[in-house]
Amino acid sequence: MRIGAIKAYLLKEFKELIRSRLIILIYLVPTMILLLFGYGIRLEVKHTRLVVVDEDRSTLSMKLLQNFTHSKYFQILYTTTSYQDALHKIKQAKADVILIIPADFEKNLFHTHKASLAIFIDGAFPLRAMTMQGYVEGALINAMEDFAQKYNIAMHHIAIVQRNLFNQAMRDENAIVPGLIGLVLLVAPALLAALLIVKEKEYGTIFNFYSSPLTKSEFLIAKLLPVFLLHSLNIFILFLWSTYLFVVPFRGSFWLYWLSSEIYILISLSIGLLVSIITNRQIVAVVLTLIITIIPGFLYSGILMPISSMQGESYIEAHLFPIMYYNQIAYDTFLIGQGLASQKNLLYLGILILYSIILLTLGSLLMKKGMR
Amino acid sequence: MRVFYSVFMKEIITFLRSWGLVAVVLYSFTLDVYIAGSGLVITPRNVTVGYVDEGNSITAQKILAKLHPPEFQKPKRFLSQKALLDAIFDKKIMVGIIFPKDFEKKLANHDHPQIPIYLDSTAASQAYITLVYLQNILLDFSMSQKLFDLKIHKLFNQNSDSKMFISFVEMLSVITMLGIILTAIVFVKEKEDGTWDILLLTPAKSSHIIFAKAFSQVTIMLGGIIIALGFVVLEVFQAPLNGSFWAFMLLSILYLLTLAGIGLFIAAASQTIMQVAQLSMLIAMPLIFLSGAWTPIYSMPTFLQKLSLISPLRYYIEGSESIFFRGTGWEDLWGYFVGVTILGIITFWYGYKKIGKLF
Repeated sequence: MRIGAIKAYLLKEFKELIRSRLIILIYLVPTMILLLFGYGIRLEVKHTRLVVVDEDRSTLSMKLLQNFTHSKYFQILYTTTSYQDALHKIKQAKADVILIIPADFEKNLFHTHKASLAIFIDGAFPLRAMTMQGYVEGALINAMEDFAQKYNIAMHHIAIVQRNLFNQAMRDENAIVPGLIGLVLLVAPALLAALLIVKEKEYGTIFNFYSSPLTKSEFLIAKLLPVFLLHSLNIFILFLWSTYLFVVPFRGSFWLYWLSSEIYILISLSIGLLVSIITNRQIVAVVLTLIITIIPGFLYSGILMPISSMQGESYIEAHLFPIMYYNQIAYDTFLIGQGLASQKNLLYLGILILYSIILLTLGSLLMKKGMR
Repeated sequence: MRVFYSVFMKEIITFLRSWGLVAVVLYSFTLDVYIAGSGLVITPRNVTVGYVDEGNSITAQKILAKLHPPEFQKPKRFLSQKALLDAIFDKKIMVGIIFPKDFEKKLANHDHPQIPIYLDSTAASQAYITLVYLQNILLDFSMSQKLFDLKIHKLFNQNSDSKMFISFVEMLSVITMLGIILTAIVFVKEKEDGTWDILLLTPAKSSHIIFAKAFSQVTIMLGGIIIALGFVVLEVFQAPLNGSFWAFMLLSILYLLTLAGIGLFIAAASQTIMQVAQLSMLIAMPLIFLSGAWTPIYSMPTFLQKLSLISPLRYYIEGSESIFFRGTGWEDLWGYFVGVTILGIITFWYGYKKIGKLF
């Protein structure tokens, strides 16, 4: 291994990255993905637009509505008496939920302890509809308990003392952003590593390497080291966006986050290396890398669905991809803060190291100097 | 007109002969939409529940029996509070319920027993829905009858079938990506293959060439939309078509023209197909994520709400959702048509000027 040769090749790579302005993409794309997904994917719905059809107009119905006005989840657009009018608003996509309080609401509640309420939810987006249904039910259950206590209606009340661990305020940012780091650091280094090698293949300049005395390992170091170093900086950039812009708490050890991220980048660039071995065209390399990384990265990241609630084949598949192991550690360092005291984190860190070693060796073994 | 027609036909034939491109387009409009529709299930499913029952009470078992599939997995019993918490910290369990020793006794004495519940709220929305679900179950035990009788109706999609919706949104995303890329590629391919100079030499007017090339891709995209709708969205996932089909087609054509405009601009700016891919990603991703496809616009920060006003996809998605699911009539759709048309004219005019300079 000759340091001089590697140094010269490294210099060439860096100069090329800067001159071809690819360097902008290296830092723009991860940040862009984090910001877009962080702002663009919200599972919670704030300020649900509520139209109330209040046919009762009693003190009690007014009290009931207060439960909605004081919640960050709702905004009451207006109160009307016409159901047709409210439905029209939903059809125009200007409202999401209609709450109908029938005319005898107060009377029924006092006389028979049973009143009915009708709720219509815009179900065009099913997940959003379910979330909104949860909010409406939650608000109404609270109202019910208030009434029962106030008017001494007999019930043996079971109180839930609820503690939201790790994410006390149930902020969506906390739930999504750490998972996104795992996605970004899986996609971006793989893409860059694949491109750096396939570009030479497509332009034909790879023959410079084939015919030069440079050895395979020297070539790999020269190609992969820039990717590794440049994306190492992204670990910090993404961390700063998460903690300052999205205000995600960071409770764990920064060293663990850093170390596991570096190992994770190694895994990612090995994936890029493997892709570069089987493709000759840049555009194919891009598409292939995206298919391999983004889809499992998204499905098994735990952003949309916790791994523990997966079943059958998807549970097994989740364990095959590296993102699950990294995200366990990422979520731990951001929200939980157990660090290596937890056996599971230690195990997963080990798996990540093993994963990176296997992929790197596989990549360098399969890589051939010379035409296939 | 003859020039327009021959360039138009040339592009269609070139497209049909490059089987790789045909395969990609067909894949995106059929399998990709299908996979997204059948793969992504975001509603709470199989939530893992653990519990500690210190008093071995019967009521506790009754409550737990109500947590059943598909929403919940069978509750796991833990012997101590610490073991349960450890499992939650290791993310093996999402919800931990603790029944205290005197739970049964207090319940019998009307003494307001308390149940501590620990929620792993790293998945915030699932945690919230789970909590509401639990509250509902406990309420059944608290009162002989509920004070309010809630009649909840989900309009347009009573069963909350998320497959048809996600496949539909995925189709719109595919339209956005491909609409930009295809238009850009028909120009950049000529640049890359070196046939651009032949274009410059032909006696045909540049405007004819540009329009014919752009419209040929719009036509191909329309074909793709019909295939995706006919085979996947309407057929496999049984999405409803409550509004007018022609309103959707018209909105699509206007939207495709907007995309063609963006494609023209990208074609002017890039020399290789690789650059086209990079630039289209940079432009299409913000379009898709800030369009309200996944987050309601009114839940976004204010500056993003303002920014989304200039996203053509915002009008397209909201408009087509209204047509398909809400069954909105023409008289309430004009806002979407106006939005897409104005943005379409601006982007197409800008792209046309940019690419026109190269002729």
